[in-house]
Amino acid sequence: MGRGPYEKSGILRETSLAPLKTTHETFEIAYPFEDVEKDGKTRRELVNDELKVTVTLYYVPFGEFDGNEVVFFEDEKTIDLKTEWIWR
Amino acid sequence: MKRAFVFGLIGFAGCALLAFNASGAGGPKPEPPAKATTIAELAERFDSSRCADCHEEIYDEWENSLHARSILGSPRTAPTIITAIEKGLKLFPYSGVKSDDDITVEHLMICTKCHLPQLDEATDDVAREIVATIRGWQQAYRDGDDDKAEELEETIESLNIGCMVCHNKVAFIHKWADGYPQPDTVYGGQEGDHEDEEYALMAEAPALGESIFCGQCHGQGPNFELEHPSQCATAYGSYLFAYVAHGGSESCQECHMEKSELGHNMQSYRDEAMIEMALDVKVESQSLFWRKNKADGVVPIGVIDVSMYNKTGHAIPDG
Repeated sequence: MGRGPYEKSGILRETSLAPLKTTHETFEIAYPFEDVEKDGKTRRELVNDELKVTVTLYYVPFGEFDGNEVVFFEDEKTIDLKTEWIWR
Repeated sequence: MKRAFVFGLIGFAGCALLAFNASGAGGPKPEPPAKATTIAELAERFDSSRCADCHEEIYDEWENSLHARSILGSPRTAPTIITAIEKGLKLFPYSGVKSDDDITVEHLMICTKCHLPQLDEATDDVAREIVATIRGWQQAYRDGDDDKAEELEETIESLNIGCMVCHNKVAFIHKWADGYPQPDTVYGGQEGDHEDEEYALMAEAPALGESIFCGQCHGQGPNFELEHPSQCATAYGSYLFAYVAHGGSESCQECHMEKSELGHNMQSYRDEAMIEMALDVKVESQSLFWRKNKADGVVPIGVIDVSMYNKTGHAIPDG
C-alpha cells in the first residue's frame, strides 16, 4: 500500500486501494530447481516440489518499515507442483 | 438543448429551496471571544474534563482517540510541526519567518487549521509558546529529563480537538443558513437546557452527523484558503469522488463511530475493529511449469494472486 497524508504528498501519485474496488496483485515465485547433466544431456530437475508461502499485507504509514507498520492481513499457504514433467 | 436547460432550471430551483429551507439552531454571528494569551488560558477555554462529570463514557472514549492529542499525535505530530517550521517556514523566502520569534498564529495554521482550530482564538504569543513547548519537550527527551518531558507533554496534550471544538466551534458549516455557534450552547442531536453554567443550552447542528462535518478537516487535499496551502488530508475528497460517486452511501460516523462500536474513540488503521472493516482479502494460488522465455526456458513457478476489496468509504491509505 502507498502512503496516507503523513508526508503531505496525499494523492500527488495515486498508489492506494480505491473504495468499492478490487485490486489484484500477482506474485510469481520460482520453485527451486537445478540443471543436472545425465547421459550427456542437461535436464532441469525440481529440488523441492512444495513451497510454503506467507502473504502479508502491511499498512506502512510513513513509507518504510520503521516499526510503525501495521499488519492488515496474513495468510500462509503450502503450494505444490507434483505434476510429472520432463524438461527436454 | 431546451430539455437540458429546463432540467437545469428545475435542478437549480431544487437546490435553492434546499438551501433556504435548511435551518439549524445557530444564531447571529457572535462577537469574537477575547484572545487567549497563554496555552493554559486556551486549554482552559476548551477543557473537556468538565464534560466528563455527566458524559463519562463518551469522555473515556474520546480520551483514547487521537483527537485527544491532536497536537502531540502518536507522538509524531508535534515533531512534524517543528519540521514544518525548520524545513518550510524558515526556508520559504516570503513567509516572514527567520526565527521562532517571527512565528504567528497564521503561520501555524498550516497545521492547526485542523490540529488545533481554536488557535484562531489566541494571540501570536500562544503560537510561539506552543513552538517553544514542543522544542522544550524534545530537548528534555534528548537530555533524559523524564520529569520535564512528561510535564511538557501534558501541556502539549492540553491542546486538542476536545468536546467543544466539534460540539460548538466548528459545529456549523453553512452559517448563513444555519447560523453561527452561540457561546452558551452545546450542539448535538438534542434541544433544551444543558446542565452547565457556561453552556446552559443544547441545540441541534444539522451537519454534525454527516460526512461533510468530518470533511472539514479530513478534507479534499490542499487548503487553498491558506496563504501557503499544505497538501494534506484527502479522505473526504476520496469519499465524495471515489466512494459516493460509485454508489457508496454510508457516512464517516456510521463506520467510525457506530459499526465499529468505538463511539467517540474514532480510530483508523491501528485499530483491530477498523482493520477488520477495511478490506476483504483473498489469496489464490496455482503452480505450473511455465515457459518464461527463450533464455530461461520452462521454469517451475507458483503464482499467488491476492485480491483486495476495499469496503471502506475512502481510499486506503487515507486520512
